[in-house]
Amino acid sequence: MTQWLRAVKTLIWKDLVQEWRSRDVITAMFSFAVLSLFIFNYAMELAPANRNEISAGIIWVVMLFSGTLGLNRAFSAEQDQGCFDGLSLAVPDLSVIYVAKMLSNFLMMLFIVILVVPLYSVLYNHSLFNSGFIGVLLLGAWGYAAAGTLIAGMTVQTRMRDLLLPILLFPILMPLNMAVVKAAGGFLSGMPYAQFSIWLPMLLVYDIIMSTLGLMVFNYVISD
Amino acid sequence: MVSVLQLQADQITKTFGTHKVLNALSLQMEGGQLTCLLGQNGAGKTTLLRILAGLQKPNSGQILLDGQPLQKGFRRQIGAVMHQTFLYEYLTALENLRFYAQLYQVPSDTQLLKEALARVGLGKVREVPVRIFSRGMKQRLTIARALIADPKLLLFDEPYTGLDLSGCQLLNELLFEEKAKGRIILATTHEFEFVRQVADRFVILNKGRLVDDFEGGPQLSLDRLEARYLAITAPHHIAAAAPSPQQVSV
Repeated sequence: MTQWLRAVKTLIWKDLVQEWRSRDVITAMFSFAVLSLFIFNYAMELAPANRNEISAGIIWVVMLFSGTLGLNRAFSAEQDQGCFDGLSLAVPDLSVIYVAKMLSNFLMMLFIVILVVPLYSVLYNHSLFNSGFIGVLLLGAWGYAAAGTLIAGMTVQTRMRDLLLPILLFPILMPLNMAVVKAAGGFLSGMPYAQFSIWLPMLLVYDIIMSTLGLMVFNYVISD
Repeated sequence: MVSVLQLQADQITKTFGTHKVLNALSLQMEGGQLTCLLGQNGAGKTTLLRILAGLQKPNSGQILLDGQPLQKGFRRQIGAVMHQTFLYEYLTALENLRFYAQLYQVPSDTQLLKEALARVGLGKVREVPVRIFSRGMKQRLTIARALIADPKLLLFDEPYTGLDLSGCQLLNELLFEEKAKGRIILATTHEFEFVRQVADRFVILNKGRLVDDFEGGPQLSLDRLEARYLAITAPHHIAAAAPSPQQVSV
């Protein structure tokens, strides 16, 4: 177990250092998120009364699409010099690759949350600093990273991976999308918890199922 | 008596679509011996190496180590140099080696890694990012990466690629050292001159089957090696080069 954890840590360290130096993914995600927020800001002249209901949807859509850019790169960067084969030979178990990549992707999503929430608050003059709302976004980011890493691992070896990833991923994310938007919207608008209480357990169950599924099937997904 | 490690590929068949790349291929290799796998482009050399490394599954057949099917963790005892380098461009040479040493869970002290880099002639550029390296420098680092975990099986696919003369000689020295340690080494190459100096055995792969198997060593001249290879892989070439009966009579 210690070996396994150490390997996960080593892989995450490598991903972060590599990303810090190349800034490939962060730059793309950052630019996309900021541009999307500006577009939404001008396209949807929201009355202050409606903002609570719609903000959760806007933030989640921005996170979802920015995250897809990151997911695409997470594995294709490993394919560039055949590093995926190198990792397969070196790790104690292939599940190490899944967990490390999932955590790296989650950190990328966290970066988007840290960026998007304050920026949205400034642009729309509407504070999103609500602990329930942020908590839901983080749970959503976890589920997204768990499902996205699994699908990205599946599509990375195909020729049309850039197209296939969103086509396969977005339908799988439908329950997550609903749960995040409803639960986050509920927290933002200050609804009584009982009115949206179904969505939070659903979000948790989705996260647990996707993380477990990823751990169980990743070996088969990436094998020849 | 020290037992010699034995690796056996038994009746390996691999097809891609309808194309049969390896056809019931069997090959046995022993520790302390370098087997050189020769064959034309597309003969299936890389596929065989990838199957031996566990990076691809055969359609049928099995790999045996000392007569037993491979255990799950055997992959980590393989040092592989494939067409691609497995290196991270934004990490330095030292960081790349440290990364792999940590994954393999072998000692990763800076001093040891520096020695490993010095061994392949990269001691002075250890802090340079790999993206700045030339092809030959990357190949040297790839070789250091493959040897970092002291593997039992070395699979070298075109290891002389990109190396200059001194690099090729250095690689041969390393291969001699690894042979002395009892490693099983399988290499593919088209650099007959260099591999002839170090290979103990040659096998020729043609149309998915091993069609020739002969000893290497100092008695095997380059001309004989090339002739034997061409006789199988390009018989028409030999025929064209041979004088016709009319030419002889003139």
